[in-house]
Amino acid sequence: MKQLILILLITGLLCSYSLGGNTTPAAADIAVVVNRDVPINELSFADLRNIVLGDRQFWSSNLRVTLLIQAPVARERDVVLKNVLQMSEAQFRQYWIGKVFRAESAAGPKTVYSNEMALSLINSIPGSVAFMDASQVPKDSKVIRLSGLMPGEKGYPLN
Amino acid sequence: MKPLIMALAVATMFQLALPASASAQQPNEAAQNELIQTLLKRIDQLERRVADLEPPKAPAATRPAASMAGMTMPHPESQPALEGPNLKIAGFSDINFSASDQPASKSGFNEGQFILHMNSNLSSKVTFLGELSLSARGDAGTGTPAATGFNAEVERSLIRYDYNDYLKVSFGRFHTPINYWNTAFHHGQWLQTTASRPEMTQFGGRFIPVHFVGALAEGAVGAGGLNFNYNFGVGNGRGAVISRGGDAGDNNNNRAWLVNLFVKPDRLYGLRLGGSMYRDRITNATNNVREWITSAHVVWTRETPEIIAEFANVNHENITTPSPRSNSQAYYIQAGYRLPMLEKRWKPYYRFEYIHIPLSDTLFQSQGVPNLAGSVAGLRYDISTFAAFKFEYRNQRRAPNVPRVNSGFLQTSFTF
Repeated sequence: MKQLILILLITGLLCSYSLGGNTTPAAADIAVVVNRDVPINELSFADLRNIVLGDRQFWSSNLRVTLLIQAPVARERDVVLKNVLQMSEAQFRQYWIGKVFRAESAAGPKTVYSNEMALSLINSIPGSVAFMDASQVPKDSKVIRLSGLMPGEKGYPLN
Repeated sequence: MKPLIMALAVATMFQLALPASASAQQPNEAAQNELIQTLLKRIDQLERRVADLEPPKAPAATRPAASMAGMTMPHPESQPALEGPNLKIAGFSDINFSASDQPASKSGFNEGQFILHMNSNLSSKVTFLGELSLSARGDAGTGTPAATGFNAEVERSLIRYDYNDYLKVSFGRFHTPINYWNTAFHHGQWLQTTASRPEMTQFGGRFIPVHFVGALAEGAVGAGGLNFNYNFGVGNGRGAVISRGGDAGDNNNNRAWLVNLFVKPDRLYGLRLGGSMYRDRITNATNNVREWITSAHVVWTRETPEIIAEFANVNHENITTPSPRSNSQAYYIQAGYRLPMLEKRWKPYYRFEYIHIPLSDTLFQSQGVPNLAGSVAGLRYDISTFAAFKFEYRNQRRAPNVPRVNSGFLQTSFTF
């Protein structure tokens, strides 16, 4: 019964948007969320880029960075690719294939398919880091200050 | 997940059933993206709500696989040590057509290398990487016993221990990190812009030692935003055949060593500047030579433009017979540009390359290392994210009194 309700809800939602037209939600900041074990509270923009590029692979000697990134089409992924890396989707994929092929990284970023999955992995994998719509981050999650700013503050670079 | 799939299917059917007039009122592409984001958020919220309503379940035995760029990667939580290493395999290959005005040359198709790239995490800090190539042989089917159609070669085989970002130690067979190209592109032709490698770093070439068997320490430090990287290596150096790396053992008691240093400044994202030194003693039937290679590179990795420039000087000193030292030099500069139109699929490029081997370099002269002055101009078309066509024209001259050779190449290269 619950499944049926969910189906009808989502179907109705999709259809109402299809017919309704031009509702455009305001763009929200993208938060950098990390596992609680990550021993830092702040990153510079360049540090963040080095993490997404796989050039920085450790938070500390005993804690490896595990990069979680949303699947293509997700806004979080688009913002990271455009703002942080200045790469297209194809360039990003090619970059990481080359990175692994050069033995510079043991594996590429892990793809997550929803914020729920991202949160679940963040809570269970030490050293994990993910990008999430700031409005969807639970209050008890650890959000990293980026270039001295938290999501929502003026000048925050990920939006 | 099942209800979501069903819901999306129902919604899709509903949309297909909509009259054309309704479709015509669809928002533009940007608005649709916003719409998708909003819907994904709603789905997240609904999933969370359903999860709250449902009674807690026992944890699943396995989690779904995550994937990146076509490579399946096990879920991070599904990597228990008890199950053993998790081997991942990727492949690269290329098919070529070439034609040339060089006398006695024949035009036609040829198979490029078939490359298998293996990667396995032995623990959170220990990784194995292997690269295996199968190369078509020109003498296939001849001789006794008949030569096989392809040569198999272990191109790279290394085990690496990552202590942290500052120190990673590895042992095995590497591509020698004494210039940029040799460690940036390896055997996957698809990874590089052009159809071919510069001749100074050609596989099977002799100008620089392409392979290195030994130990390597590498790492990176922030250095105030400079991102200073280093490689220190000790290994067997060149074998009796100087294009090979002494896989079965060193042929003298002198180890080769190398230092490679480069920076990637934060402020100039995309720039890499570096240089390296390599020292070896080469011993074979006719030569006993001390080799000293110095090289430098400047690279701008962004594709608008892409610039790669390298220079290497190979100094040889004959130890057996006192004679003047010789310096053989090679360099190339390559520029490419990813065109902004047509979905950024087209990338024209040009490369000039030069190699000079003086007569005094008895080692290179005896090994037949050729001179070169030549240009390569081409166009790369990315037919998909993982496959490309390359159209290339080459104009090369081996010596001042030798006619230039013009060649045309068509290559399709891909990863799988």
